[in-house]
Amino acid sequence: MSARVDIAPRAAVDQPPIRCVDLGHVYDSGRGRAAALGDVSLTIDRGEFVCVLGPSGCGKTTLLNILAGFIAPSHGDVRVNGRHIEGPSSERGVVFQDYSLFPWLTAQANVEFGLRMAGRAARERAEVARDLLRLVGLPEAGAKYPFELSGGMKQRVAIARALATRPSLLLMDEPFAALDALTRSSLQIKLIDIHRQERPTILFVTHNIAEALVLADRLIVMSPNPGRIVEDIRIDLPRPRRRTSVAFNELYEHVARAIGLETAE
Amino acid sequence: MGFRLDRSNVAGVLGTLAFFGAWEALSRSGLVNEVMLPAPSTIAQSGWSLLLTGELARHLGASLLRAVLGFVSGSVLAIALGVAMAQIPLLHAAINPLVQMFRAVPSLAFVPLAIFWFGIGETSKIFLIAWGVFFPVWVNTYIGVRDSNPLFHRAAASLGASGWRNFAFVVLPAALPFIIAGLRVSLSVALVVLVAAELAGAAFGVGYLIQMSQQVFRVDQMFVGLIVLGVMGFSADFLFERAVRRLFPWYGAEKESGKKIVGPEGSAAPTVRADPRQQQGGIGETA
Repeated sequence: MSARVDIAPRAAVDQPPIRCVDLGHVYDSGRGRAAALGDVSLTIDRGEFVCVLGPSGCGKTTLLNILAGFIAPSHGDVRVNGRHIEGPSSERGVVFQDYSLFPWLTAQANVEFGLRMAGRAARERAEVARDLLRLVGLPEAGAKYPFELSGGMKQRVAIARALATRPSLLLMDEPFAALDALTRSSLQIKLIDIHRQERPTILFVTHNIAEALVLADRLIVMSPNPGRIVEDIRIDLPRPRRRTSVAFNELYEHVARAIGLETAE
Repeated sequence: MGFRLDRSNVAGVLGTLAFFGAWEALSRSGLVNEVMLPAPSTIAQSGWSLLLTGELARHLGASLLRAVLGFVSGSVLAIALGVAMAQIPLLHAAINPLVQMFRAVPSLAFVPLAIFWFGIGETSKIFLIAWGVFFPVWVNTYIGVRDSNPLFHRAAASLGASGWRNFAFVVLPAALPFIIAGLRVSLSVALVVLVAAELAGAAFGVGYLIQMSQQVFRVDQMFVGLIVLGVMGFSADFLFERAVRRLFPWYGAEKESGKKIVGPEGSAAPTVRADPRQQQGGIGETA
């Protein structure tokens, strides 16, 4: 990873990567106003792996879109590394649920994309992309186009692409939701591994309780109408986490109740 | 599978042979006037002699040059304007009514006017071809840029894309499947307009060959012209397809691999090869 270069201006170390104060968002469709997010306050520390969990309509994706700079909040204050958000930036990497790889670029070129936009030299880009493809476990896939890759491989490339500009914050919007259970759990392990090696701050949105419990250092549970935080739990389960352990299941039941599921599946 | 394919190939060859055999027999039987319906063998002979004298090459060369110049200039303008209109709403608002108005008039109807303005020389022909080529390419480019998957643009923005790099590496390639579909339609449009323009007046060209042959009662040469046009159209399409496959290996592949991919991938519409006719039909909504 030594070849990696900082594209984004380095954050002031004393500023938290994410700080929201009374953040809210109202979608104004023709038929009326819907409060997607109502007064959310949240501070996330550097290097934390945070999962945001909740049913659909709880505002978790809205929160992520605001942090990514895709939408501007209706009210409240949000700062990333102490600065206001003025649109998308390579300082905040995003991994989407849908396969958002550029189909016209090879895996290698997809990973290089952020560096290319920053005007980096070809050799440097190639080196970084090779390192990252190795990191996500696809050292041989560089020359392949997205259509030649499986769903799980595409999401690995998407993660590598998001990491290439060394974002201080990695925003992940249900990145494994479209994958089958086996691929999903292998990618979860891979992501934990990457987090341990690279220590990016990760905000990972999911509606899957088990996934959140496997991944997160800290779990934010949200609830709809309006979207708000109902629980903020530090998850101290030892890693690697076993889904069959008693502690895991107790936590699972607790979280299931918090999001309004009467009985755990 | 192989056997069936062979059988259908054999049937195709037999059908074709039967058709030309019957034609040959009919022409030679005396039931029809052989000058009006020359036998395939006669047509082949006159084609051969036109080839040997170099006359055919001259006509073909003239037609090809016009077609290429008209096609390239028309498509370049169409892509430029399509992209600009999709990116600048005010430009779209200002120009769209005009373009829609012109688009509604069949391009062949402009032939007399173009000859009146530019004479029967090359200018009028290139103008007419460019004019005909312009609209399908423009429509597709505009729709392609406007409707390309917003996820690509979000991803690009979050990776720091902006300005000309964003344009070259995201906006244009994202619209490319649509642009290619438009170009493909325009290939056949170019051929139609080319022939119409040459029939209306020219000194060289395959259309002119047909026109002249009619005036000297050489029906066999008229058929030679028709065959050459057929070969031109077929080759243009074939070469276009080959070039696209070579230049953009990902084009069309997404659709094929889409079968085994379940979920959102299949809905990434812009990466799927667009049916140009649907595109054209849908333009009413954009007006």
